[in-house]
Amino acid sequence: MFSFITLGLANYSLIVKQPHSTIDILSSDEISSDDPNAEKSFDMMMEVLMHKRCVNCHPAGDTPLQGEDSHLHNFGIVRGEDGHGLAGYTCGTCHQEENNKISGVPGAPEWAVAPAEMVWEGKSRVEIATQMMDPARNGGRTPEEIEKHLTEHELVLWAWEPGIDAEGMPREKPPVPVDEYITAVKNWIHAGAIIPAQ
Amino acid sequence: MKISFTINGENQIVDVDGETPLLWVIRDGLDLKGTKYGCGKAACGACTIHVEGNAVRSCSYPVKMAEGKNIITIEGLSTGNNLHPVQQAWKEEVVPQCGYCQPGFMMATAAMLSDIPKPTDKDIDQNIINICRCATYYRMRKAIHRAAEIQSQSPSL
Amino acid sequence: MANNENREKSKGLRRRKFLKYSGVGMGLMLGGVWAARNYSRRYFFDLVETMVPTYIGDTSPLVWIQISPENKVIIHSSKVEMGQGTFTSIAQIVAEELEVDMDQIEVTHAATDTGNIDGFGTGGSLSIAGLWKPLSEMAATMRLMLSNEAAARLGVSVSQLNLENGKISAGGSTITYGEIVAGVTEWSFPDTPKLKKRSDYKYVGKPVPRVDLHDKVIGAPIFGIDAEYPDMVYASVVRSRLVDASMSNFDTSAAEKMPGVLRVVNENGFVGVIANSFFEADNARHKIKFDYTTNKVWNLSDINEKIKVGNGKKTIFQKEGKAVDDIDEEGEIIEMEFSSPIGAHAQLEPNGAVAYYQNGKVELKLSTQVVDFTRKEVASALGIDKNDVNVIPTFLGGGFGRRLHTPHAVQVALMSKAVGKPVKCFFDRKQEFQNDTFRPPSHHIMKAKISESGALLGIEHQLASGDTMFNSALVPSLSATFLRADVGSIRGGAIMYDNIPEIRASYYHSDLPFATSFWRSLGLLANAFAIESFLDEIAIRTKQDPIELRLKYLSDNNPYSVRIKNVIKACAEKAGYREGIVDGKAMGFASTIDMGSPCAQVAEVSIEEGRIKVHKVTVAFDCGVAVNPDQVRAQVEGCVCMGLSASLYEKMDLKDNKLHPVNYGAYRIAMMRDVPKEIDTVLIQGTDIPGPVGEPPLGPIAAAINNAVRRLIDKRLTSLPLDIS
Repeated sequence: MFSFITLGLANYSLIVKQPHSTIDILSSDEISSDDPNAEKSFDMMMEVLMHKRCVNCHPAGDTPLQGEDSHLHNFGIVRGEDGHGLAGYTCGTCHQEENNKISGVPGAPEWAVAPAEMVWEGKSRVEIATQMMDPARNGGRTPEEIEKHLTEHELVLWAWEPGIDAEGMPREKPPVPVDEYITAVKNWIHAGAIIPAQ
Repeated sequence: MKISFTINGENQIVDVDGETPLLWVIRDGLDLKGTKYGCGKAACGACTIHVEGNAVRSCSYPVKMAEGKNIITIEGLSTGNNLHPVQQAWKEEVVPQCGYCQPGFMMATAAMLSDIPKPTDKDIDQNIINICRCATYYRMRKAIHRAAEIQSQSPSL
Repeated sequence: MANNENREKSKGLRRRKFLKYSGVGMGLMLGGVWAARNYSRRYFFDLVETMVPTYIGDTSPLVWIQISPENKVIIHSSKVEMGQGTFTSIAQIVAEELEVDMDQIEVTHAATDTGNIDGFGTGGSLSIAGLWKPLSEMAATMRLMLSNEAAARLGVSVSQLNLENGKISAGGSTITYGEIVAGVTEWSFPDTPKLKKRSDYKYVGKPVPRVDLHDKVIGAPIFGIDAEYPDMVYASVVRSRLVDASMSNFDTSAAEKMPGVLRVVNENGFVGVIANSFFEADNARHKIKFDYTTNKVWNLSDINEKIKVGNGKKTIFQKEGKAVDDIDEEGEIIEMEFSSPIGAHAQLEPNGAVAYYQNGKVELKLSTQVVDFTRKEVASALGIDKNDVNVIPTFLGGGFGRRLHTPHAVQVALMSKAVGKPVKCFFDRKQEFQNDTFRPPSHHIMKAKISESGALLGIEHQLASGDTMFNSALVPSLSATFLRADVGSIRGGAIMYDNIPEIRASYYHSDLPFATSFWRSLGLLANAFAIESFLDEIAIRTKQDPIELRLKYLSDNNPYSVRIKNVIKACAEKAGYREGIVDGKAMGFASTIDMGSPCAQVAEVSIEEGRIKVHKVTVAFDCGVAVNPDQVRAQVEGCVCMGLSASLYEKMDLKDNKLHPVNYGAYRIAMMRDVPKEIDTVLIQGTDIPGPVGEPPLGPIAAAINNAVRRLIDKRLTSLPLDIS
């Protein structure tokens, strides 16, 4: 019985709530009118995702970015094969699973540099969103998995608890409070993950 | 807070504030002075140790995270009277000048060699990122190649 | 061998030898020379350029060399080991004349209680150069003392004895040095015997491995920060974040309540937290509230305005002819400006000390380059006799001139007195950066007149900088009045090309609102950058080979010029110096003389991904006798790489009275990937005594790189760090 309901709901979402192909880009005119928040949600979500707290670890090159001015990470750190650094050092050589108040080194579980397919630095929000929803470039994730990643992964949520730097200065948080961001992500995905033209 | 871990093959239990950097527990709590304080901000690498075989900068690693871990410091790099290949090579090439940063470099190098047994110059450039003010890097590079050689000739390691 | 009775006897010997060895160099500091100050001023400046070093400390064999009954030779060194290899060379010199094996020798830092006191300190690249003769003589004298004793015991004459590896034998009997020593209560001192023939050397001149090598690869606890006493406590002192500001209105109430805190001291001009661990002391220190009162607002632009040729007190320190503007012969005047930034020491071991005050006496263990001055400063601050202060120096985790003044030792001693326990207190890295005694910035105007045929008619170097010596304890303020110019800042600033018809050099001194002092080689790095870049530019503009240009303007008339020329030729040949760009690489040449040791370098450089990359440096270096050629090479390599770091990356900034950066990374220092893959060193012996080694090879590197870059980008860069963006 339960499984029938689940299947039914799944079918419902497939039939009724089938998102457009993830690489379709619709103009804002085409966004479903029964979801007036979808576009605003997209704006809010992208404001966060394009903030330095996120982009610093989605660099264009092999070296992550660092600090409020997003300079290239000191000491020539590179992402390595799996985004966790090299053999002489890994990200974990310095970064642990939580922020370090004494050294000013930030930390969160699975601290790493995003893979090369997930470069965000220098890209427009449309490019980033498109890339993010494309299974060929987002680690094979479905929209549901993307939603889960963006709203639950500790490394993502770290952006709102970024700790203090070596000088004791608090790191800047994204411009949208975390709960509003989570709501925005969910809204946007549930409304079809529609990416506007720009 | 009681934290227990293995260090250089020995079990230790310490009772300190869990946020205490492992560096101070090692140096002052356990009297192992080889691991050095250079900056306290994970910038210089003088405090490098191995945790579960990986290079870790102990100044930026709270002791509470050492619970149940296997830790090696420079004192534990050698086995008995036998120096580690890195240490042997460091001696052959007469690398140290003031010597303060050298344990951190040797620990970072040993970590690299366990994953990259035959590093190229580029591997060395990319992997070894500690700071040496006396700038003994030139000899270090030679010693790293020599250590790789010694290591490849010692099947027991 | 160093028992008190013998120490008393040897004091008389020491006093006589002190006067014999003190020489003119330090005698300058005594009042009697005041009358001849103009002459002396010139002499002292010459001394810096072409120094004949003297050792002013104790020269009694009994104070330096201790022989244990187990036949170990323990050398108590008044010079400290900071990586420059002094301990090893000292061991070699003693092994040679004393006829012992290197393995028998242990070199240790002489605690001041041993009586082996050197009032000068360790610096200036003067240790081995200064100790060479006295230490050889001490060891030879001791050998003779032992021989005399052995001859008496064995019933033979001294000439019948065979000495080898710490053993004396004759007619089938052998006795060790240790056995001899154990049986003697009173020594008689012979006249200094003849020294060994150089051709018989077993150790000196050989690449013997460093004596501290094993300890340094096993992480032995040999540094100041490793020192301890039982029942020791830890301290952290409040230090200023701002320059030209005072701290007041301290509120230590929150700090006092922090876990592990034993006491907060707020007296004697500083505030410190004493606690059961460093972590606790440091946490509590951060809870102390206080106010800053800034005297004046300072930004880097203010410093750059101040340190400018034409500002400040002027001294002419080289005058061999007319000013360029007064040269009659027709020609073109070329003028160029150069500058260098504020430089941090950034040595890896932070400053600090461990002190134990008991019963009106203090013992300290710390890394210091001025052992005796530390002692005197602590004694004076505590109001006790200097003989009640025992300073036990430790191996330094980097010196570079940073530890030529140790006022923090006073703080630690006072804190120990306050709590009645041994106290360990160290700077943290931020405090190190913000309270460094920096290399002062510099500004230069180089000027020359070139005849129509391309001849150099005259040259002038005008230099503006801040204190290197006067802000240090080593040279008392008397010398500021006496010498007027900072001898450290002008180091390397005189033009060594004595065939140039008219040469002038002058120095403009300004005070800076933050502490500046000795940074390895002092003014040499910046001065050589300016002079050697300028000469290279002249070579380019007059279409002369830069090496031929240097050789043309060095005479055969003075001993240094000949040595410099030999070094230049050797370097150019070894490097295969050529113009042009081959495989994307250009070469740049520079030559200097510092403290009497000439050095020439060729840097092979390319530009890769918008960055200056130094592939290879060829060095020719003449330090006279290389007591340990391998360690001389190590110093050359270290100087080249440290100089490269200062040339390409390093600079301090100042904003709203705050010096920054305050850590490695942000203060970029050369790393493994930044240094040349090849450093090719040719050692030349231009004299028959050891000359200074630790700093002179810093001279050419900045200009050598700059001159290569000049050819790559077709543009002359004129400020350090070099920036091609």
